[in-house]
Amino acid sequence: MQATLPYFNRNVIVLDPAHGGQDAGATLNGHALEKDVTLALAASLRATLTARGFTVVSTRDSDLTAAAPLLTGDQRAGTANHLRPVACIVLHATASGNGLSLSTSSLPLQEAPSASEPSAPIPWDTAQSLYLPQSLRLANDLGLALLRAKLPVQLLRTALKPLDNLTCPAVALEVAPLVVNGSKPTPVTDAGYQQRIADTLAGAILNWRDLMAPKPVAKPAPTPTSGGNP
Amino acid sequence: MIPRYQRILFLSLSVAIVLMAAFTIRERQKAHDRFTTANEAAPYIEPVNTPPESVTLDLANDFDGSILSAERDASLPQEPSLRARALIERLFAEYALPESPHPLKAGPGVDDVFLLKPPTGSNPVASGGLLAVVNLRGTFDDNHPSGVEVETLTIQSIIGTLHANLPQITQVRFLVNGQPRETLAGHADLTRTYPAIDAAVRPSAPVEAAQP
Repeated sequence: MQATLPYFNRNVIVLDPAHGGQDAGATLNGHALEKDVTLALAASLRATLTARGFTVVSTRDSDLTAAAPLLTGDQRAGTANHLRPVACIVLHATASGNGLSLSTSSLPLQEAPSASEPSAPIPWDTAQSLYLPQSLRLANDLGLALLRAKLPVQLLRTALKPLDNLTCPAVALEVAPLVVNGSKPTPVTDAGYQQRIADTLAGAILNWRDLMAPKPVAKPAPTPTSGGNP
Repeated sequence: MIPRYQRILFLSLSVAIVLMAAFTIRERQKAHDRFTTANEAAPYIEPVNTPPESVTLDLANDFDGSILSAERDASLPQEPSLRARALIERLFAEYALPESPHPLKAGPGVDDVFLLKPPTGSNPVASGGLLAVVNLRGTFDDNHPSGVEVETLTIQSIIGTLHANLPQITQVRFLVNGQPRETLAGHADLTRTYPAIDAAVRPSAPVEAAQP
């Protein structure tokens, strides 16, 4: 399995704040809605990534309107795939568990199409399987950065839409309340907790991007040869 | 000309009819709710005509995201599909305990489990095995905590428990109230056929990797 990336827009990151509109997601702390927490986390992450030079595209920038009350998983994946981003981060929040979990698709690994058949069609339902090595590496690197920032993190494999349909390195980040040494849990709605996660992730994504898709070295301009045409 | 007292009597009787109809409908609804609640709250009852045996349950833990196998005693029917249903109910009974690290609401969660031969060629790896179709109750889905990890753990623990005790099951699908449903509680995909060859998709900690 290759660990390097095929052609991607190395500066583009897609964020997918899950849920929205009629789909409120989980209810957190008895009153906060998951769709609002993921949106707030996406806003923090967008700001920190933009400050590091990334172009960040979000599948939604506000709660969905009555005119477009639901964004399907396929629509979210379509938005991301069209942009060929260097990474896609799907954001979730929950009331159970501790710290963060980074999920990658539980699809089986699949060999990349051979060079002789580069335009072979990719099945929509299992599109992510071609990109799993990069996704697993991304999840691992983000997890290491979060551990270094003293945030508990677990790596999971899961069946989650739109993760399976993304044709880019993709992970789903789920934020749970933070419990440290039996102290009072920090809720997922805590702005400081969210900012800490965003800062850590932005730095880790930058490092991962520079490792996996280094900046192309500019080739020197060809020197004109003498004695060619009269 | 209708006398005034007859008009008043007519109106009074009409109002009484409407009120009695509303009262009857309300009482009927209350009785229906009571009956439904009593059914949902019925405890898991082990069959008494079979001796207890040791079974393996794949028990999830929300706090560290782990799934650990544990031995428990249970009296199970011999018929495989009933046995599969009883196993899942035994698993859910464990999650309904007060100190459960993966707390789920008490009550029956499975209507039926059907064991089928998968269509030929659907999954070459699983050929020869059985497809278990787990028909969950709507109330179980509605009461399940929402989250990627917690839903994934529930699904993986069901699959792991089925496969550990009924190794002939190699694939698992889920229905809710007899119908396909997109997700368990908003996250984990229920439209997929899950392989039960090795259901142990355990969470892990990130590790330092060699540079590419």
